[in-house]
Amino acid sequence: MIQIYLNVNGEECPANVKPHWSLAVVLREQIGLTGTKTGCEMGTCGSCTVLVDGKPIFSCLRMAVDVQDCDIQTIEGIETDDVLHPLQQTFIDDHGMQCGFCTPGMIVAAKALLDKNSDPSEQEVREAIGGHLCRCGTYVRIVRAIMNAAEVMRSKS
Amino acid sequence: MKEKTSIIGKSLPLLDGFEKVTGRLKYAGDVPAMPRMHHAKVLRSPYAHAKVVSIDVSKAEALRGVSAVITHMDDITGRKKTCNSPWHDFSFNFRGPMISQEVCYVGDEVAVVSAVDEDVAKEAISLIEVEYEELPAIFDMEESIKPGAPAVRPWGPNALDPSVFSWGDIEQGFGEADYIIENRVTMGNQQHAPLDRNACIANWEGDKVALWTSTQALFWIRDAVTEFFELSPNNVRVHSTPTGGSFGLWWGNNFMFLAVAIARKAKRPVRLVLTRDEVMTTVKRREKPLIDAKIGFKKDGTMVSQSYRHLMDNGAYGNKFDPYQSVADIYTTKHGRVEFIGVATNLLPAGCMRGVGDLTLAYAMEQTIDMAAEKINMDPVEFRLKNHWQSGDICHTSQEVLFAKLLFNKEPEVELTSSGLAECISKGAEKIGWKDKWKGWGKPSSVDGTKLRGVGMGISTHISGLAFFGFNGITLKVNPDGTMVLTTGIGRMGQGGDTTQAMVAAEVMGVELEDINVVDGDTDVVGHTMVTFGSNGMHMVSRATKAAAEHAKEQLLEFAGRELEANPEDLDIKNRRVYVKGSEEIGIELKDLMSKPIYEYLSAPEVIGSASQGVEFHKAGKMMMADFAEVEIDTRTAQMKVIQFVAYHDSGTVVNPAVCENQVAGGYYQSMGLCTTENLVFDEDTGAILNPNFMDYKIMGPLDMPDPEIYFEEVYDEDGPFGAKGIGEGVTCAVPIAISSAVYNALGVRLDPPMTPAKILEALKSKAK
Repeated sequence: MIQIYLNVNGEECPANVKPHWSLAVVLREQIGLTGTKTGCEMGTCGSCTVLVDGKPIFSCLRMAVDVQDCDIQTIEGIETDDVLHPLQQTFIDDHGMQCGFCTPGMIVAAKALLDKNSDPSEQEVREAIGGHLCRCGTYVRIVRAIMNAAEVMRSKS
Repeated sequence: MKEKTSIIGKSLPLLDGFEKVTGRLKYAGDVPAMPRMHHAKVLRSPYAHAKVVSIDVSKAEALRGVSAVITHMDDITGRKKTCNSPWHDFSFNFRGPMISQEVCYVGDEVAVVSAVDEDVAKEAISLIEVEYEELPAIFDMEESIKPGAPAVRPWGPNALDPSVFSWGDIEQGFGEADYIIENRVTMGNQQHAPLDRNACIANWEGDKVALWTSTQALFWIRDAVTEFFELSPNNVRVHSTPTGGSFGLWWGNNFMFLAVAIARKAKRPVRLVLTRDEVMTTVKRREKPLIDAKIGFKKDGTMVSQSYRHLMDNGAYGNKFDPYQSVADIYTTKHGRVEFIGVATNLLPAGCMRGVGDLTLAYAMEQTIDMAAEKINMDPVEFRLKNHWQSGDICHTSQEVLFAKLLFNKEPEVELTSSGLAECISKGAEKIGWKDKWKGWGKPSSVDGTKLRGVGMGISTHISGLAFFGFNGITLKVNPDGTMVLTTGIGRMGQGGDTTQAMVAAEVMGVELEDINVVDGDTDVVGHTMVTFGSNGMHMVSRATKAAAEHAKEQLLEFAGRELEANPEDLDIKNRRVYVKGSEEIGIELKDLMSKPIYEYLSAPEVIGSASQGVEFHKAGKMMMADFAEVEIDTRTAQMKVIQFVAYHDSGTVVNPAVCENQVAGGYYQSMGLCTTENLVFDEDTGAILNPNFMDYKIMGPLDMPDPEIYFEEVYDEDGPFGAKGIGEGVTCAVPIAISSAVYNALGVRLDPPMTPAKILEALKSKAK
């Protein structure tokens, strides 16, 4: 076991880990942030997506020991002061989810997109979530929720 | 008749939407670790069929950190009932031992280890020494049912007794026909492939057991554990969490039993989480069909007779003898016969998946009907409009008829309540521009260089629940502030069942949706509710929800009548306020009524509405759908893509349009997967699944296919609460035929799912010859 510290959602989180444990496993099992879901554990479904230094990554493919000096943001850190991020609100309003399992990964990936592109085309939105699967087949409303969130964010800024 | 509603019919947000978008919603794998909890891993068979001659677990048991090891020899009930004793799932999706001494498919359970963490459990698994004696394995249904074929499994025959439905005189029917078309159809192996990997935590306290797992079958799991371990229902408490998609996968599954068994031996809570590989290779898949269809019809296109023989591959542990459904009735003929036979093979167990029975049989029927229409050169839209069933027709093949026969030796008639099929067919045809695009059988709608386009269509139906799924016991409690608590055992798997049941309650009670808190998923707390499958939620469960709300409302109006000095019959509730009909200014807010002491009791009232009721089966509400597709095939690359897809559905009153649209879109995407890239590939020699992951078993992503166009024909169903019928399962059923038919018209060759580029290339080559 190795003692490490991870900077997650602005908090310094201590964790005792084995070297081969992924960031996803440590977030879920050691730090208790189960909003990051692990559907495949091999980088093929997108549900474990978190932001590492602002970039979306599959946390199942990244070793926890490898991101000790990084700024990690998970779905739990997307809302600020108990106010939902516009993406979270539009996902609710537009029914951009069914079972909800892919939702955290979708929202995190969409946030990464909107942080650098405030006015994406539908194709750009689909490409940003291109590595994310939704077995419930909710794509039409997921895309709509992301487009609407972009509009909300543009009108606020 | 359609009533005026203020909640029903609105796309209100999901009650658990906040939990989902914030990552707070807990699926089984997210349930926090318990003190002293250990983690389990399973040793699985590398052989499709073998006997465990000897098994040595001593090294595994000796490993530091291991708390228990169980094999087929363990007596975990204390009643001389070993893990090798069969149990059964009430759905017929599983029957056999939880750990069989005779392993019957690659991946079958051989031993389970619990240890301080998964790494130690895995190491212990590798220390178990097993000697197997290989037995002959059968992977093919037709081989399996041949006389003298080796037994697939020791606890049942290779072929179950056929379930037969027949009406009229089939021979006379075919005798009257001008033409007869015979056709054989099969398709690939689809898996439910939810994103979530399920988990089960089990914990014994003395002779009481509690388990936590994601499921749509709350009470069936309780009843199966109760039966196998010979416990009272009072000693079995099942906590069901929402599923990260289920589609029929997460019912009573064997891995849950393994967790219960090893937790008992380990004397501590044990958690078993499946890997992606295990989700796809050891739980369940859709039954692979092999269907022989025969249709007799007149020169003018009138169908007179139809017969089907539907073999269903049950795999090693599936036990289904009837796929529940009644799609064969969608064409009304005087004479008919349908036979279902469940067949065992030494492959991954098979069982229900979204649209079970109706998807496979509809595909076979519809393709044969296309061939019939082609024979007389009739437009498929016209052929279907001529023959489809209508409200009041008899459902000859309803499983309720079969159960009435099995349980009571009676043969009742079941009548169809409503059908918007004619509207779905004709309006759907208009939406896709059928008249312009239809150029005749096997003829492309357009050709542009190497790109051929074709159109196709198909219809289907599905149940809105079945009566023998059981009683529904629902309560609605009114809080002092006028908010309410609805208890229900409805499963939550993305269909929004908690939200739409609450909408029914809110509509009756004259309050807002957010006033209702739904408490679900606990067998000690909620009343028995039908296992959430077969699209029963809105048509059947919500009858009890509505009745419970009406019961609560009756009590509320009684108290309000005293307060307002009015006859309760003259009162109603809207906008969270009781008012006098005709004099709306006289009234009282619910929060005031519920918090105000009543003189006689010196206390404020407590209102609990309840209803526990079965569903009478003599009338059946069924959803109807017509799907239309235009596809494009590039003859250079053999790639097929959808250009346009129109889904026209009759699910009665649409209770929540956004929820229903999502359901239809989901059915389309899942069936598009079945049509193109989803197929579990079994190794021909070993029976092992070669593609148990999302890389090699590809489900549709956001860039793969265009979204469908979705329309609803809202035919009010007199038997459904607020006119509603079911929706969740049938949405998959007509997609494969619409696609396959469009491919046929583009290419001139019939292909069955999965319609891969390899098959398309083969078809192009055969056509060029």
